[in-house]
Amino acid sequence: MSKKSRSKLWFLVHSWLALPIWFFVLIVCVTGTLAVLSQEIVWLANPDVRASKPSDDAPLLSYQQVYDAMLKAEPGLAVNYISRPGEEHFALTASVTFPDGTTPILYVNPYTGAIQGKSPTFDFEAFTRALHGWWLVPFTNGYSWGWYLVSLLGLPMLASLVTGLVVYKRFWKGFLKPTLRLRQGARIFWGDFHRLSGIWSIWFIATISITGTWFLIQAILADNHVTISSEPIVPAISREDVPRGANGEVPSRLSLDDATRAAMQQFPGFEVTFVTLPGNAYAHYYMGGRGWYPLMFETVNVNPFNNKVEASFMVGDRSTLEFVTESMRPLHTGDFGGLWVKLIWAFFGLLLSMMVFSGLMIWTKRTAQATAAALKRESRVAGKTATTTPSPSEASL
Amino acid sequence: MSKAAVIEAGPLRRFWLKWRFHLNILLLLIPLGLMPKYLHEASMSRGEIGLGERELGELQAGQWSVKIAERFDEAPRSDGPAGYFKQFNIALCDTCTKVKAVYLRVGKPRSLRAAGALFSGNPYRMTGIVNIPLKTSPDADLWLTFEDWDGSLQQVSIPLAKASPATVAWLKQQGGKS
Repeated sequence: MSKKSRSKLWFLVHSWLALPIWFFVLIVCVTGTLAVLSQEIVWLANPDVRASKPSDDAPLLSYQQVYDAMLKAEPGLAVNYISRPGEEHFALTASVTFPDGTTPILYVNPYTGAIQGKSPTFDFEAFTRALHGWWLVPFTNGYSWGWYLVSLLGLPMLASLVTGLVVYKRFWKGFLKPTLRLRQGARIFWGDFHRLSGIWSIWFIATISITGTWFLIQAILADNHVTISSEPIVPAISREDVPRGANGEVPSRLSLDDATRAAMQQFPGFEVTFVTLPGNAYAHYYMGGRGWYPLMFETVNVNPFNNKVEASFMVGDRSTLEFVTESMRPLHTGDFGGLWVKLIWAFFGLLLSMMVFSGLMIWTKRTAQATAAALKRESRVAGKTATTTPSPSEASL
Repeated sequence: MSKAAVIEAGPLRRFWLKWRFHLNILLLLIPLGLMPKYLHEASMSRGEIGLGERELGELQAGQWSVKIAERFDEAPRSDGPAGYFKQFNIALCDTCTKVKAVYLRVGKPRSLRAAGALFSGNPYRMTGIVNIPLKTSPDADLWLTFEDWDGSLQQVSIPLAKASPATVAWLKQQGGKS
């Protein structure tokens, strides 16, 4: 194949990668962008999720103080977990169950322990993530087929990046001489836009498509019951380690603060950003937070009756492979470094959505017209026997 | 796409060329169609529409009682080599403060060690995921075992046919195959 026709072929492949499902790809990109900022969007819309300080020097309450304040306000409440969001301007979130069985998330002020509100029935964050992540297809047996549908897009996206860089001759020159011609018609504008945003998004498209492909691999592994996890399966607390109260009285659990202290003593520098309360008499306090490597969570299980650390999973316990695979999700969502990282991810997410759109604009203005012309020609020759006339169809560039 | 394929534009190919962009619409119809199911599931996990898809009423064991529900009205779900499982949810009675643990098993447990799956959650809403062995008889019973903090046990059973008709139908099908 000549050099020219090879580059034509590359171009063709690039042109057709997102088609004919371009709108699906666009919506996945847009919902992904929304999902990155969903927590912030809720923060803007709902004052209950904001952590307002009663005074400048107000200290943060400890987990036990928060727990006590919640129980004081709602004596019948059962608390499932308390979580401190990564950014200071968010209220604590606590999953609770009321005596009537309803199980909402409560927004709790981290300085006063006041219950500021509860999550509405329609959870915007969960919805955008479910739409983006698995196209709302429910998980019944293993991974949902919607998950496969969305994560499969990682492959054509990666191919788009590679073919795009191949057909964009000497693309690195675009960094030095950015071109965006506004006044020479839509076709020129969208072409410039597509190339310019493309080269500046190389790192992002690579990140999203590789991590997206990982989600596909993850589902395939899980559905075939292959595990690469070195995380210990924590057994229930043994019968001997659960005290028998005198006369069958229910023994009380040690405080959440004692438990977190015990964990921090054993693991200096361990930071607790969530605590899950035991789900039954044989369950642990399960707590965790980001480790020194911010893309991973470290977790500790503490026996609530004697404060013994009975299991842990720290950054250092991970295998080399897990360092790679566990980094995939945070790299995809951009939720590992506070608001600024999220804003960067959202900006490039928007740019990527625009790339899908601009790609379509270029396609309709060029390839589709060429295809239509080719089809017309084809229908003219349809009555005759097949000729060797090259019928370029989409190859008309 | 080879050129030959374009030239030999058969009816199938014409159909594809004409309708391929409608794939977008089909793909968008998926989440639209599944939206009610998604919202239903979300309400269910928030406890707004009961304990599960099939509420089975109250079960009494000695001084204790629970409300119990089949979480999904469907055949057991496979967990690969671990076997097939069914999820049941319970809510403990108001006076159940001295219940230490509740277990769930197909068939009567011989001892506390073999009492089955341990329920987990909180008194208002606990989940138990019970193994359904393939060779379970369709007229088997589901047994709940209550462990008291003083060490005493209480038990109560419910026919599997009542607890989960879908499981029994599935078991009969399995029996037919093997």
